[in-house]
Amino acid sequence: MKPRGMTSMDLRGGRTLRLPWPRHTGFVAGARLQLAIFRRGWDSLLALVTVPLFTIAFLAITRHAGRTDLTAYAVLAPAVVAVIGMAILTSGEVVTQDRSNGSLELALAAPSRFPIVVVGRVLVVTLVSLVAVVEAWLVAWIVFGVRVPVPHRTAFAGALAVATLATVGTALLMSSVFVAARSARTFQNTISYPLYLLGGAFVPVPLLPGFLHPLCRAVYLSWATDLLRDCLATKPVPDFWPRLGAVAALGAVGFAAGYAILIRVVDRARATGRVGHE
Amino acid sequence: MTHPPSASAGQGGSPTRFAPPTQRDVESDYVPTVDPPATAGRVAATFEALRYACLSALADLTVIYTWKTWTFGWLARVLCQVAFFALIGRLLQNPATTDYLLIGSAVVIVTMEAAFVTASSTWERGAGTLPLLVASPTGPFVVFVGRSVQWLISGTASANIALFVLAPIFGVPLAFPTALAAVPLIVLVALSSYCFALLLAAFVLRVPTFRNIVGNITWWTIGLLGGVQVPVTFWPGWVGAIGEVLPLRHGLAGVRVAIAGGPAATILRDAGLEIAVGAGWLVVAALAFRRLAEGGRRTGSIEFGE
Repeated sequence: MKPRGMTSMDLRGGRTLRLPWPRHTGFVAGARLQLAIFRRGWDSLLALVTVPLFTIAFLAITRHAGRTDLTAYAVLAPAVVAVIGMAILTSGEVVTQDRSNGSLELALAAPSRFPIVVVGRVLVVTLVSLVAVVEAWLVAWIVFGVRVPVPHRTAFAGALAVATLATVGTALLMSSVFVAARSARTFQNTISYPLYLLGGAFVPVPLLPGFLHPLCRAVYLSWATDLLRDCLATKPVPDFWPRLGAVAALGAVGFAAGYAILIRVVDRARATGRVGHE
Repeated sequence: MTHPPSASAGQGGSPTRFAPPTQRDVESDYVPTVDPPATAGRVAATFEALRYACLSALADLTVIYTWKTWTFGWLARVLCQVAFFALIGRLLQNPATTDYLLIGSAVVIVTMEAAFVTASSTWERGAGTLPLLVASPTGPFVVFVGRSVQWLISGTASANIALFVLAPIFGVPLAFPTALAAVPLIVLVALSSYCFALLLAAFVLRVPTFRNIVGNITWWTIGLLGGVQVPVTFWPGWVGAIGEVLPLRHGLAGVRVAIAGGPAATILRDAGLEIAVGAGWLVVAALAFRRLAEGGRRTGSIEFGE
């Protein structure tokens, strides 16, 4: 990675050769690094591996109860669980892993802003986690012979895209908090089901105890899952744009908080000289 | 679900004890003869190795959790996990399904934590101690049997708390005092799940990168076939037959009978079947570890570190 502002001419002493700007950014470097990590091993894809099991369990529950009208809920929930699961398990570990394998020092010394690199990585993780949506639909079809139609395709795609961006913000927040707290695994193992619950991954928020509702509405996921479920129903989607705006706004808040915490963590590490494990 | 690295491995686990050579051994041309140790001595050495392995596991537990992180972190997650599934019954507007899901989801916690054995066993490979264990006279299986008991303690506690705390909240009727039989039954499920997980550990030690994937697939599959989410009769007959020889199924059936205040004979029969399943998998796990050790010695495939 070259220092900022340096051109190929500076390095080679010859004719200036400017590469397209994206190749110079830490963002692309982070994205490429994360893709390489995915290619290397299965462990970071754990959340995707469990999608078929979640799908079979949820569909078995609804079909055993004779509630085939809730099939869309049972198929959407595993996908939501996997997307959030990867944000927690994989994105949450991005900085912690850099720290434990000794590459954080080098990443911080590089001219690219470190948070930009992290954003590139968590974006790739979140995009890869969308495989879970296809996976859940396929498992429902292959195992139970169930096809789940998407009546509002454009609305569903739009809601999924905005929810994905909001998840990037949450994932960035996770990676920042985990590295600041220094006990990533404890947080990771703790936070998953509370988020699934508050986010209404399977059971909509109105069915949760009333005292949880304000907390649920502060989580972008609860807005996103409600909206995605409505997009799978045949009736018109009520208040689509305001609800999509809520997902985007809460996602932006998460992103801003995550970015700010990460900058603070990096600045503190540089100031104290304690970049690696203390 | 992923796992933290070992706290104790390589930091003062079981000390290796051996007799130093005597002056006579060193100065003369005395050739030491190795007498086979007496049976009582072998048994004592085995138990001592098991005790040290258990102490190592407890050391891990105290580093992984403090009582605060266990209570407000792990236990809170477990309660949310069980509530997540129990609330599905509310979505289905079916109180019987709520009861069924709550009991099943609470008991399967113990199987989930027992499956962590696949991860904690590989810590020995990561720490580079696996070849030493294979070379030791006691045999690695004894060490691995004790090396992950921390999950039995945590799993038994969290499953019981989830069951007896959330059941009244969700209105699940508990027929006391018969319902208290659920406590020892959950212990039996923990032990049988642990024995099964040991078998998987023997395979995962060859491919440690799959430790978390194997652990998660295992407990989910055991749960699906063990009647956690739906009765086993929901599945095709051949699928149900597989579940018969897996841990959890009989113990969970016994827990359901106990909570409903059912006959003691049925509870005892289910407990006996759970013990038989656990004992069977323990034997298979011992054979798998022997094969791992023999194969590793023969081919030199057991590495120092991952």
